[in-house]
Amino acid sequence: MVVTDSSDSGTILRVRGPLEFKCQLDSTDALLMQKVISRTFATLHSQVKSESCVLTVCDSSLIIWPNKGVYVTPEEITPNTLCEDIHQWIQTYEQESAGKRSSKKKNKKSSAASVINLRLMMDVTKTGPLSAPILRRTLQKSHFLSTTLPMDCVVRTTCSDTIKDAFERLLEALTHQLCEMEKVTLQHMKGATLLVPEPLHFLLPEPKGLVTVVYPAGVPDSQLETHRKKLHQQFELPDDWPYFRRANAFHFSNEPYKDGYLRNPHMVLTHPTLDNGKVYLVQGIYSYHHYMQDHMDDNGWGCAYRSLQTICSWFTQQGYVERAVPTHREIQQTLVDVGDKQGSFVGSRQWIGSIEVQVVLNQLLEVTSKIMFVSQGSELASKGRELANHFLTEGTPIMIGGGVLAHTILGVAWSETTGQIRYLILDPHYTGAEDLQVITDKGWCGWKGPDFWDQTAYYNLCLPQRPKVI
Amino acid sequence: MGRSYIVEDAVEGCLSKLCEQKAGSVTGLLLGQSSPQRDFVVMATRTPPREETPAGNPVDKEWVSEHARQVSRMLPGGLSVLGVFIITDTEAKDTLTTLRQLVFAMESLVSSEQLWSPAEDDVSDCVALHINRKTRKTFCRTFDVKDPKSTAKPADWRYQAGVCSSWSMVSCCLHVDMLVPLPDNKTDPENMDKCLKEELRGWAQRLESGVCLMDGRKLAEDAELPGGQKRNVRQTYTAQILVTPSEQRLADVEQRCGGSVSIRGAVHSRAYLHSNKPKARLAQKLLKRDAVSTVTTRVQMLLEKLLTSEDENKSSSKQKRELFCLPHRVFYPLKASGPLCVCDYQFSDESVSEVTEWLKEMLDIDAAEEDLDSSQEAPGEITERDVGAEPTVETVVALEPKRNSFIGVAMATAVALLATAASMLYLNDV
Repeated sequence: MVVTDSSDSGTILRVRGPLEFKCQLDSTDALLMQKVISRTFATLHSQVKSESCVLTVCDSSLIIWPNKGVYVTPEEITPNTLCEDIHQWIQTYEQESAGKRSSKKKNKKSSAASVINLRLMMDVTKTGPLSAPILRRTLQKSHFLSTTLPMDCVVRTTCSDTIKDAFERLLEALTHQLCEMEKVTLQHMKGATLLVPEPLHFLLPEPKGLVTVVYPAGVPDSQLETHRKKLHQQFELPDDWPYFRRANAFHFSNEPYKDGYLRNPHMVLTHPTLDNGKVYLVQGIYSYHHYMQDHMDDNGWGCAYRSLQTICSWFTQQGYVERAVPTHREIQQTLVDVGDKQGSFVGSRQWIGSIEVQVVLNQLLEVTSKIMFVSQGSELASKGRELANHFLTEGTPIMIGGGVLAHTILGVAWSETTGQIRYLILDPHYTGAEDLQVITDKGWCGWKGPDFWDQTAYYNLCLPQRPKVI
Repeated sequence: MGRSYIVEDAVEGCLSKLCEQKAGSVTGLLLGQSSPQRDFVVMATRTPPREETPAGNPVDKEWVSEHARQVSRMLPGGLSVLGVFIITDTEAKDTLTTLRQLVFAMESLVSSEQLWSPAEDDVSDCVALHINRKTRKTFCRTFDVKDPKSTAKPADWRYQAGVCSSWSMVSCCLHVDMLVPLPDNKTDPENMDKCLKEELRGWAQRLESGVCLMDGRKLAEDAELPGGQKRNVRQTYTAQILVTPSEQRLADVEQRCGGSVSIRGAVHSRAYLHSNKPKARLAQKLLKRDAVSTVTTRVQMLLEKLLTSEDENKSSSKQKRELFCLPHRVFYPLKASGPLCVCDYQFSDESVSEVTEWLKEMLDIDAAEEDLDSSQEAPGEITERDVGAEPTVETVVALEPKRNSFIGVAMATAVALLATAASMLYLNDV
């Protein structure tokens, strides 16, 4: 991925909220069932378009009735207020301890758009007096469908958008999503069994940005390839790179990852400027694996294992594989299983190298890797073109080991004209907590010059090749 | 420190009138509002005499509890049965055991109809008042009904003028829309009751977690209602309630059913708050609880009616689709001067006189028909077009009038139904 300096900010409005979907299927005739389901969707459509539809801003007293001429309360805000001003009405809580010490640098550099979360609600009160309720009893053996549709829509606003502009678009997005859900529901109906439609957001390369797709819940990615193919065509995306697997779903900046690992710590770094140089980086998302994580004391021997874990996390988070990142033990067992090591290797504290990494990737992830051999560290300075090409076409993290310690290479800055080169290194030897500030300030993740390598030692680089699939 | 009851002056008059009656013990209910700080008693009502009082037992626990259940249905949000009083010729200490039994029996029956979840600041003390007929000496105690081992605690009982006059009112018109599947081969009223109760419980939870706006504004939980401090000003607030369905697990999307029940229409919900700096949180809680109880009560009343009529006429449940109007809510002002009201539910086939008679029986109120306020809700109207795929027969069912004009019979039916209701509750609790 060639880094373009896009300072793309703006506010994302995200509305979520379940809608109750209930209906009684009197007949098992497919056409009649479809009719009942479509009718239930039509009811939901009219609910969303009714005056009762309300959007409330989370952690705020701000409430918007999009179908009452975009009526807003409290009175200090009008439909013509700028969307960005909503932020002033949101109570912010102290950041969690991990982010507490986050520097100004982080805030400045994080180009992720801010998200305003909204809740889809229904105003169940009306202006009375109205008629008292009627109870209707229907006696008929049938199937009853009851679920909730997890509505989840986003719109991106620019700094000049008013609340009126944005919420009209948000309402359009809601009704559009209901249409999509109806399509998916009808398409994946089997007998009277209904699969809940599930919206997911994906971030496509600019200018397309955030796109929402509805998938039937419970259907594995492997069975949705035709669906994805259509999407790739529709959005004119290359057909050798997954964009719409569930694992590719966009992660909103205000939702912390639950597993505790840091994602893409290099994103906060300032890239080196070389004369006529370009920056070539890992594409997509990886998590940072290093010494002492997972209650595992591997200080002094586990660096290659950790580098391998970082690579595996990339393949998992890009959606290529569904398996979890392997533990040290699983890695060792795999090497024993393929006959590479003796049984006593499992549970030992023995090092592994680039070749073992290649073997494990092949065995567990069915990912092939190229091995690059460098007899002297000083030669690495001349590998700029090959490394740049790797990040352009494969985009995977590289494990580098050999006679000395193992590291992960996440990118290079390379000048074609001068041959100057810098390496973006992720160091698995870090033993501290997941503190982005420390990690980037102390260089555990940072740009290094050619002198970083032991000039006389040999190196093996494992360059994982991504499968060409969608 | 014991609880402190501030009692409307008129209650004293009412109680001394009862003291002047012939010998024998008189029991009744004390109605008002409880709050963690203070309690307000606005009304005392004697339990109507039962025709055949069980011999040798001057105080009929079951009868008083049933009275409390019926009266609870007639109280809008914010008002509740706070406890019981008993007037005897004996010493106060001799009635302690009786009062204790009464209070616990009453509480367990009344709370069985409450489908909302208890809150931390709910008052679990019930008042038990003894008055000596001869000496007119008043002993006020409380029992913690949440603690089966609780003993009597002394409480303060103080009469004061104008307790009834300074109340704020919160109200809203709430749209109800429910659809509940009925299990296969189990579509009778008992099972309807079970299914509807479960649905109502879920609905109560959704309301509880819903957002409540007062006069269009979302107030902070600890905020006071605006302008609530002025004395003797009738503050009224219109509320709005925003809800969101609860997220369901994916597992139970589809089920076989023997039919379904739907409830659609609007209810008028209201709650009263003693104007002593009422908090928004309290107003919300009471209003939402009233919404739950007004719907639950109506469903209960209709099912009770269905039970009796289907017992008489087994064939009536064979119809494929039936529509029933739930009763509409009618209010009656307690005092011309104050804002407080009690309420009743009127089925469309009932006359206004049946409402006034019921008010007399249950609350000893001589209500003039013209003072009844039936403007808050229109009677249910069956005008719905059937949008079903195939033409079906819809039957609008007219049931026999619920209430008999003479005292005792209606209550006796209710007590008989009680046994069924209680056993169903056990099933639900498992």
